[in-house]
Amino acid sequence: MSTSARSEILARVRKASRGSSAESLSQQLQGLGVAPAAPLPCAELATAFLANVLKNQGSAAVVSGRSEAVKAVGAYLYKHFRSHRLVAGNDPHLAAMPWRDAGVLPRFGSIEPGEPAALSYAMLGIAETGAIVTFTGKSSPASNNLLSEHHIVLVDQAKLVANMEQAWLGINREIERVGRPRGINFIAGPSSTGDIEGKLVYGAHGPRGWHVILIGEALDSALQEARELAGLA
Amino acid sequence: MRQTSDTFLENASHALADADKVQRRDLMAVFTPLIRDAAMEGFGQFDALRQHVKQVRQHSLDHLGHYLTQFEEEALHNGNFVHYARDGNELNSRVLDICQQHSARHIAKGKSMVTEETGLNDFLERAGLSVTETDLGEYIIQQAGETPSHIVGPALHKSAAEIRELFLDKHDLGPRELAEITDLVGEARQVLRDKFLKAEVGIIGANALIAESGYSMLVTNEGNGDLCANLPKVLIICTTIDRVLPRAEDATAMLRLLVRSATGQAQTCYTSFYSGPRRELDTDGPLETHFVLLDNHRSDILASDYHEMLQCIRCGACLNHCPIYTGVGGHAFGWVYPGPMGSILTPLLTSLEQSNALPNACTSCGRCAEVCPADIPIPDLLRDLRHEETRRQLSAPRWRLGMKLHGWLARHPRLYHRLTGWAITALHRLGRKRGRFSRLPMAEGWTSQRDFPAPQGKTFMQQFALQQQQEMPSPVRDKPRKTRLRPEAGRTKAPRVKPSPPGAAKTASKAVPADKPARAVAAKAPAKSASPKSRTGKPPARKPRSRGPVKTRTEPHFGEPLEPQSGADERRSTTTGKPQEPDDVN
Repeated sequence: MSTSARSEILARVRKASRGSSAESLSQQLQGLGVAPAAPLPCAELATAFLANVLKNQGSAAVVSGRSEAVKAVGAYLYKHFRSHRLVAGNDPHLAAMPWRDAGVLPRFGSIEPGEPAALSYAMLGIAETGAIVTFTGKSSPASNNLLSEHHIVLVDQAKLVANMEQAWLGINREIERVGRPRGINFIAGPSSTGDIEGKLVYGAHGPRGWHVILIGEALDSALQEARELAGLA
Repeated sequence: MRQTSDTFLENASHALADADKVQRRDLMAVFTPLIRDAAMEGFGQFDALRQHVKQVRQHSLDHLGHYLTQFEEEALHNGNFVHYARDGNELNSRVLDICQQHSARHIAKGKSMVTEETGLNDFLERAGLSVTETDLGEYIIQQAGETPSHIVGPALHKSAAEIRELFLDKHDLGPRELAEITDLVGEARQVLRDKFLKAEVGIIGANALIAESGYSMLVTNEGNGDLCANLPKVLIICTTIDRVLPRAEDATAMLRLLVRSATGQAQTCYTSFYSGPRRELDTDGPLETHFVLLDNHRSDILASDYHEMLQCIRCGACLNHCPIYTGVGGHAFGWVYPGPMGSILTPLLTSLEQSNALPNACTSCGRCAEVCPADIPIPDLLRDLRHEETRRQLSAPRWRLGMKLHGWLARHPRLYHRLTGWAITALHRLGRKRGRFSRLPMAEGWTSQRDFPAPQGKTFMQQFALQQQQEMPSPVRDKPRKTRLRPEAGRTKAPRVKPSPPGAAKTASKAVPADKPARAVAAKAPAKSASPKSRTGKPPARKPRSRGPVKTRTEPHFGEPLEPQSGADERRSTTTGKPQEPDDVN
């Protein structure tokens, strides 16, 4: 018997496993079909996504364009911090925003001590779970999502997908383009804990607030409907 | 951690003596199933999803050799070190080696039941390292010097008042109120933020490993695991070989079940997939990443008839729904994994000798199997462990003798029904006045805690026979049989449904056909009823493994010592996994 842990474990596992070619395994897997996804709270993707963001204890705003988006960021910062201090990832989508329109000039990079709010641009929004997806890297440093007091996310309506299977299709397309990122983050709400007496508290380690700004056409009614679906209206 | 499963009964009595904790557990027993049920109802297709994920996981386990190797190749390609550990000692030693290679003193740790299993914290602390658990629940019990009582909410046994006292004692932060739970969470956040920033090494677990891409999946609400994975210069992911799934979408399909079963959410706040060290243009993330893949008897379980247990996704639903767990709490089980899943895993991962009380800590109510998102036949596996105990003479001789007598009696249905008929009639007459007994010979175990209700006059079989008699008008010969159950005691009074071949009475009296799936037996039959096994003296028919015919029982290790170990094995990619230069580290 080999003294190597690897060869010993793999030998035991192989002995208990069945051998098949990679091709036939892939066929067997395909044969198992696709997992059922959670039903969407409504057929319209934007509404369903917003409703789930709200159910995840996020806050949400809808805007019709980039200029309105930066104004919404400015308004949120002013409401919570009475300041316009903001750190944002080095994402071309964020760099190209008309920041002057809102009098906000983000610092692009990773969060520094004392910076209360961070901004990310979502690669995808998943209606099924109300989660946004980012790749770690300079366009979205993980510390920005994790160490800020409030995490603000811009989501383009065109980036919404219905469920997690569709999200992986989008993620894999992006991976083909840019390679495997170090981390893929699905974020769905402010950091929370129920570890003391089961009571839910926000801001366990990460952000206390999570704000999603959805950019798209004619979304006002979608937000209203989402509030109703989330039981907030 | 020190195992005390062998004193389960004493532990349980001790736990039941604390009225406050009993009340807390009673509340949890109401609350946690409600939120799980609501989440599953919202999903709507629990069974379809459960079957899909089960098939995928069974496929993964059936071909674990292939998928584990594929995962290793991809993880190496992504720039990780991949280590294997045969047992807890190997995992602990490997982790310590890595920490020492980097002269690390401060370790930030995310929640990981695997490292609880191996006792990693104690091991590292004995070597002079400072280890901080960063999951709030784990942090609380670490400060209190306790062990987890629940695999999802490790500190749910503690009240806010107890935690307040603990924090006032442990945190040197001057006089303060800490009146609200939010204050306690805020203080832990403040204290732990420093620990994250100071740590040289982060250690986390993994909820799944993805073979096609070499990513691991981490599911948290607090974000503490992600801070451990992103801030320190070195990341070590400790997990087990059975966590491998073929594709990313398989991991998120499982996630749908995991989160709803564990916390009643549709999605946790953070679901993160990590592939390795930081990339060329990245501004953050660890510079070096390691996977330590633990076996610790999983490969034995894989080859045994208990292999379904490897499908467990550690959601804790079986704990929340178990009358024994919610009665006595997690600590009574005496090791890392409590409740129904723990009563199977503990004997398999340690030894049946050390934990033979655990498989008996079961009412066979079947709730665990009903809610298990992995569809593990938990009551069946527990029953098989009980058979194993009897076979290996681990249970008390008196108990075995009683079971033997009962088994013999159950194989003689005429005598069985006659004797029970007499006993029931006698008890009925004796207890007619009061309707209950506060004392009964040979039943002190029952009557010391509660009254025994007086039987209402006839046995179930006698009543059943009467009912059949009333329901069945003549001529009965052409009517189809309603059931295979046919009363023995009442047979002389009941009209014969149709002529029985010789020996049919014996067959018909059998409560459960031998070919019926074992799960149904366990869910329906009371613990002491005659099971197919006690009738035949052979192990009960288990569902055949999907990969072939039913195997004869293959025992797992049950604590046999492993071969003398050499160091855990390690591989490193030669393509992208070059170790960083010291300049890059600093």
